[in-house]
Amino acid sequence: MPLNRKIAYIDLTTGDIQTKPIPLEVRKKFLGGRGLDAYLLYNHTKKGCDPLGPENTLLISGGILTATCASATARTHIMAKSPLTGLLGSANMGGFFAPEMAWAGFHHLVIKGKAKNPVYIYIHNGEIEIRDARDIWGKTVPDSQWAIREDLGDQEVKSCVCGPAGENLVRFANVMTGIKNSGGRSGMGCVMGSKNLKAVATRGTMDIKIARPAEALEYNKRFIDQIVSAKVNQTQGVLGTPFIWGATNSWGGVRTRNFQYNQCEYADDIEPERIDEICEETMGPHHMTGCYGCQVHCRAQYKIPEGPYAGKYDEGPEYTSQGAFGGETDTPRALTVLVGNHLVNQFGMDNLETGSLISWAMELYELGIITSKQTDGVDLRFGNDEAVVEMIERICYRKGWLGDALADGGIPAAEKIGKNSFDYLIQVKGMSNLHSDERATPGLALNIATASRGSDHLRSRPAIDLYHLPQEVLKKIYGNPVPYDGPLSSEHTEYVGKPWQVFWHENCYMGVDCLGICKYHTTFLGATLPNFEDWSKVLYYNTGIEMTPEEIWEVARRCNMIERLFNLREGLTRDDLNKGDMLNHRYFDEPCRRGAIDVVGRKIDKEKFIKMIDELYEHKGLDEDGIPKPETLQSLSLENEPSHLL
Amino acid sequence: MATESEGVSTAESLRKTRTYGKFRCHNPTCMERIQPEKGKKTAKCATCGMEYRVHWVNPSLPRIRGPVWDVNRKLAEAKLKEKGVK
Amino acid sequence: MAKALYIDYQKCTGCRLCELVCAVSHDGISNPARSRIRVIKWEAEGLYIPMSCQQCQEAPCMNVCPVKAISRDEEMGRVYVDYDVCIGCRACVGVCPFGAMSFNTIDKKVLKCDLCDGDPQCVRFCEVKAVDFVEADEVCILKSRNAAERVSAAGKEASALEAQL
Ligand code: SF4
Ligand SMILES: [Zn+2]
Repeated sequence: MPLNRKIAYIDLTTGDIQTKPIPLEVRKKFLGGRGLDAYLLYNHTKKGCDPLGPENTLLISGGILTATCASATARTHIMAKSPLTGLLGSANMGGFFAPEMAWAGFHHLVIKGKAKNPVYIYIHNGEIEIRDARDIWGKTVPDSQWAIREDLGDQEVKSCVCGPAGENLVRFANVMTGIKNSGGRSGMGCVMGSKNLKAVATRGTMDIKIARPAEALEYNKRFIDQIVSAKVNQTQGVLGTPFIWGATNSWGGVRTRNFQYNQCEYADDIEPERIDEICEETMGPHHMTGCYGCQVHCRAQYKIPEGPYAGKYDEGPEYTSQGAFGGETDTPRALTVLVGNHLVNQFGMDNLETGSLISWAMELYELGIITSKQTDGVDLRFGNDEAVVEMIERICYRKGWLGDALADGGIPAAEKIGKNSFDYLIQVKGMSNLHSDERATPGLALNIATASRGSDHLRSRPAIDLYHLPQEVLKKIYGNPVPYDGPLSSEHTEYVGKPWQVFWHENCYMGVDCLGICKYHTTFLGATLPNFEDWSKVLYYNTGIEMTPEEIWEVARRCNMIERLFNLREGLTRDDLNKGDMLNHRYFDEPCRRGAIDVVGRKIDKEKFIKMIDELYEHKGLDEDGIPKPETLQSLSLENEPSHLL
Repeated sequence: MATESEGVSTAESLRKTRTYGKFRCHNPTCMERIQPEKGKKTAKCATCGMEYRVHWVNPSLPRIRGPVWDVNRKLAEAKLKEKGVK
Repeated sequence: MAKALYIDYQKCTGCRLCELVCAVSHDGISNPARSRIRVIKWEAEGLYIPMSCQQCQEAPCMNVCPVKAISRDEEMGRVYVDYDVCIGCRACVGVCPFGAMSFNTIDKKVLKCDLCDGDPQCVRFCEVKAVDFVEADEVCILKSRNAAERVSAAGKEASALEAQL
């Protein structure tokens, strides 16, 4: 049974390891994955703990459906207090790690303390050991994984690792597995580095009994048909996620020159079709690969075609790399994107944060707020490809004054740089925005302002808002599984109804993260993809747990509320530009200069925006300061947190 | 096997709303459906005048690769002027 | 004419769904160690190769079996293990040149591909058709066609290069 996968508590300071079953009552409250991690984080950290100290708790998990006969259950979730934001840290990645850990008997790891020397944790068919990693320390992301396989003499071992960036305590270092699967955002690799934890390796051959195998198998087929018949997934399967960047850039939703433009013009060389050509030239016609059990196969394979890194194999680039090393820095050259992507994958560093900070520094440099003395001679103008590549390496290894400053994240860097540098920093809660520009799309702007892990598109983005869906369709989607009879608008430039959509997607994405399924298999980019109703069946056939769609919605609300409680405990206040639910002033002051005709000139209306936040708080059951009302906590059975059930 | 007797979920029922062979204009006040000529590399929106480069993911699935850049810039600059943005 | 599994590894995305559905449809359990098909990977190069039983004519497993538990089933085009006769000696595991006969340490049984009695689940679920089920005499034609395409592509490239000289 997936339900007999255990939780392990590992103390790196003392070497103590305990394992426990996960009680059914806990499962029913939090399911697993990110939701249960949020509960564990709230219960296993103390207010104000140092994110880089031994008292921070690192959680690594699979979802409740991981490695069952459901589609695309590859996701590994990682959580801790973030060293980048001081608030909730959370990252999610595909690949093959979580399923392997499930076959090795575990769904959740709670890792505390700090090892004296570099170590890695090895989990194998119910057993856990802590092993020496001194010889592996310093190695790149892929090399670390191959070294662990050598060390264990088993080529089937799957590991998640931190790279050199994590070791150097770059505040936005990733946890990674495989060539490029990244638990990016909010610095979970930095937490690993701070604990002297190089990797968690796992290998398992333990049975996961499916509750109703025949039905699970048939239903999985039906689920997959639904997934692969969606146009968005057919496109993803050919062009990968770059198609998202291409589409967004086309209408003018892509940050360029930090935040000066909302479209990267004449970007033909990094458009998805061009990237696809390079992949085909270097890897042949079948160059798409995928995560465990997934039929979308959205990940491309490529070799760098020329230059000093010619011939290096890598995967991607995802849309985030096009945005980070192509658009934001105004270097729309395929080679720069491919090399930049390769370097961050080797280093284990968040491409999105890295590119965003480099483009911010470029704007400051052009404005004279930072000088060539601070850049140690790097000519940090927009459009300078070499400077982008050089800065990636300087940040990872904290080389030079600026490299070191940026490695600490945007807000600390702004403090060091001084002057009005902070005004130009495009961030929320201390985390840089994705390359997307939300000035023409209030719903999407509301999403990044209120996302639990800082500015982020994967927590509540109503992306299907861009499809101009007819009212009947919107009503069907957003009136399920709980009724909603408020207004909804097909116009993505509108403000009405968006708070409900953001609230709905927040719960949808939490649901999918608890199950351990990939977001491309739910109502994220495709309006016709599965959600609560469909999950209720998947859950039943695979685990035997009977939950209605409404009950899954309740779990999602509960888990989102725990994340909110954690953030509030660590200092979130509504209007705080550093730690609150607020956007940089440029969203309200600077109009879009490019894009489709009627995107030009748009910006966010601050008054309406604040009203949207009020409304979102109401849907969530928060008061006007963003603090949960007592009755909300009661209705979600959270009035006694921390309750230490696990 | 057992599952087929069960009803269709909301998400599944929405499958029939999919339209192939067309895409929507990217201009937010327009959003009209455009049906590019099979295999053709550009398409112009009859309603608002935006011009797009087209990529065919497969023979029945066209997508907008991007705007025709020169047209796009001209339209944007005219709009900025009209709105009085410096 | 019996059909055969046709594996075109170039199409394989490495997702391993075939392993999952193989184990679940046979045993009701998710565990790749129970799968009759295995995707072997070289991740550093992005190379994935699904490996399964070749249903050999002169099957070494069949020849080595001391109790004659393994036989050829011509109708299905498969090499078949009769578990009522099998004594679990694992001689077959040792001689299979492809590692396609494996041993399940939990149930203490050998296991190999049985073509799902004519409806292979790996094929049914593989969207890219890296694993396909075709008429046995077509396998070599498909392979030749594939190879010929590569040769002709190489030929075209070569003549293009020549033209540039
Ligand atoms: S198990 Fe091995 S030896 Fe036996 S038929 Fe299959 S491939 Fe041939
Ligand atoms: Zn139009």
